[in-house]
Amino acid sequence: MTSLAHRRPIGSHLILITLSLVAVFPIYWMFVTSLKPANEIYSAALLPMQPTLDNYAFAWSRIPMLRMLGNTFAMAGAQTLLQLITSVLAAYGFSRWQFPGSRLLFGLFALTWLVPFQATMIPNYVTLTQFGWRNTLMGLIIPNMGSAFAVLLLYQTFKSFPQELVDAGRIDGASSWGILWQVVLPNLRAAIASLGILLFISAWNEYFWPLLVTSRVEDSVIQIGLQMFLTQDSSLWGPLMAAASSASLPILVVYIILQRQVIESFVKSGLRS
Amino acid sequence: MSPSGAVYARTRTRLLPRLNIAWPRRLEPYLYVLPAVIAIVFWIYRPLAQTFELSFYEWNLLPTAPKVWVGLQNYSRIFSLPDMGVALRNTFVYMLGLLPLSVLLPMAIAIVTDNIGKRARTIYRALVFLPMMMAPVVVAVIWRWILHPTNGIVNLVLEGLFSLEPVRFFSDGNLAIWAIIFITGWKLTGLSTLVFSAALTNISREYLEAASIDGASRWQIVRYILIPLLSPTILFMTMLSLLLASQWTFAYINVLTQGGPLGSTTNIYYLLWNYGFQSFAIGWSSAAAMLMFVGFGVLALVFLRLSSRLAFYDN
Repeated sequence: MTSLAHRRPIGSHLILITLSLVAVFPIYWMFVTSLKPANEIYSAALLPMQPTLDNYAFAWSRIPMLRMLGNTFAMAGAQTLLQLITSVLAAYGFSRWQFPGSRLLFGLFALTWLVPFQATMIPNYVTLTQFGWRNTLMGLIIPNMGSAFAVLLLYQTFKSFPQELVDAGRIDGASSWGILWQVVLPNLRAAIASLGILLFISAWNEYFWPLLVTSRVEDSVIQIGLQMFLTQDSSLWGPLMAAASSASLPILVVYIILQRQVIESFVKSGLRS
Repeated sequence: MSPSGAVYARTRTRLLPRLNIAWPRRLEPYLYVLPAVIAIVFWIYRPLAQTFELSFYEWNLLPTAPKVWVGLQNYSRIFSLPDMGVALRNTFVYMLGLLPLSVLLPMAIAIVTDNIGKRARTIYRALVFLPMMMAPVVVAVIWRWILHPTNGIVNLVLEGLFSLEPVRFFSDGNLAIWAIIFITGWKLTGLSTLVFSAALTNISREYLEAASIDGASRWQIVRYILIPLLSPTILFMTMLSLLLASQWTFAYINVLTQGGPLGSTTNIYYLLWNYGFQSFAIGWSSAAAMLMFVGFGVLALVFLRLSSRLAFYDN
C-alpha cells in the first residue's frame, strides 16, 4: 500500500492495545467490583475470589431499580419512536420539494445545535410545570419529540435515494404518502434502524433534562436514580458498582449485538454526546 | 405533479389511505415538515426567545412572584456576579484542556496506527469506542471509585509502586479540574480516533506514494500532506470540542464535585444551572445564557468561515 504502511505494525498494536486497555479497564473494574463480596472490595485483585450477586440484591432493594429501568426503557423507546416519525416526515418533505420557505425552515434545524440546553431550560421548565408534566413520562418525552440531528442525518440519506424509483412510483399514480411508505422507507430500513439505535442510546444516557423534570426517585430514570444512590450511600462501593452495572447492561447488550452499525452511525454523524 | 400520472394511473390496492386529496398539492410539503418544525420551534426557539426576554427582568421562578423589569442591569453586572470570573476562567481551561484528548492525541494515534490490518482494526474499534456508550453518571461513578483517595485502584497502585501519599483527585483544588477533563477525554478519545482514521482512509493513497517516491520523509509526508488533507476534520473536531466542552463536563461536575472545591471546577454552564435552580436568580442566569449563546455563535461562525476557506483540500 503506502509508504506509511510499509512499517511493521508491532508499534501500532502496542499503541492500540494501550488505548483499548485504558478504554475498557474502568468498565471491567465496575463489573468486577460489583461481583466482589464486602471483604474483597478494597483489594486490588483483578478477579473476585468468591464472586457474589449480593451487591446486586442490595442495590435493587435499596432503590426501585426495576421501576426506574422500566421508566428509562419507556422514555427512551417512546422518544426514539417519536423522533424517528417526525424526522422521517421532515427529511422526506425537505428532500423531495423545494417550497417557499423551505431553506429558512431547514436552517432552523441546522442552527439548533448552536442553542445550548442552558439557554432554553428555564422557560421549558416553566412550561412543563404549567402543563402539569413534572414527574411524568410525558414531561420526559414530549420536549424531545423532534430531533434536529435526526432530521439533518436523514435528509442526507433521503437526498441520495435514487430519484428514478420515486419517479416510477409517481408514474404509477402513487401519492407522495404512498411513495414514502411503499418505495422510500422499505429501501432505507437499514439506515433508519441504525439512526434509531443511536437515538435510543442517547435517550437512555440522558441526564440533564430528567434531572430537571423528575424529583421523585420512583418517577425518575436510571441515571438520576444512580446519582441519588451515590449521594445517599457514597461509600458502599460494591452495591454502587452493581447499580452502575445494572444501568449500563442494557446498552452494552445492544452494543455487543449491533456494534458495527452503532460505531458506523456514530462516526458518520461526527459526534454526539 | 405529473399530468401523465393521471392518464396512466392504474387502479391498485392501497395499503394506506390516500392523504393528499383534501388539500391543495402546494401545501403537501408543509404538512410533512410540520410536526418536526413545531417540535423545534416550541421546545427550542420559543424558550430561547423567552430566555432573551427574561434576561431583562429580575425574577425568582415562583409563578406568583412578580417579574421586575431591570433593563440591561443583568448584563452590565454580569462580570461582577459572584463566581463569574472563576467560572469563565475555568470554562477556558476546560475548552483548551480537552483539545489534546479530543483532537491531538486521536489524530496522532490515527496517523501512527494507519498501517494496521483490517481484522485487527475492527477489534480495536469495538474496544476503543466502548466508553462512548457509557452514560455520564455511570462514568462519573466509576471514576470516583477508581480515583478514590484511599481505596481506589489508581492510588493503590501509586502507593504500591512509588509509595506515594494518596492523591485526592477530586478534593484537591489544583487537581480536580484536570481529573474532570481527563474523564471527559476518556469518553471522547476513542470516538475521535475513529473519526480521524475514517478520514484518513478517504485520503487517496496516490499522494502518499508520489511523495515517498520523491524521497519525502515520513514526517514530511505527515506535515505537508496528511495534516493539510485532514484539516477539514481537524477544524470540525476542534470546533465541536471547543463548543461542547462545557456541556460535556456538566454531568461530571454535578455528580463529582458540585463545582468545588472552592469553585475550582465550576464552569459557565454549571454556574447558569446554579443561578437558575439553586439561587433562583433567573435574570442572571438568562443574561449569562444569552451571552454564552452569542459568544459560542460567533466562535462557530469563525470556524465555519475557516473551514469553507480550507474546503478545497477535500478534493
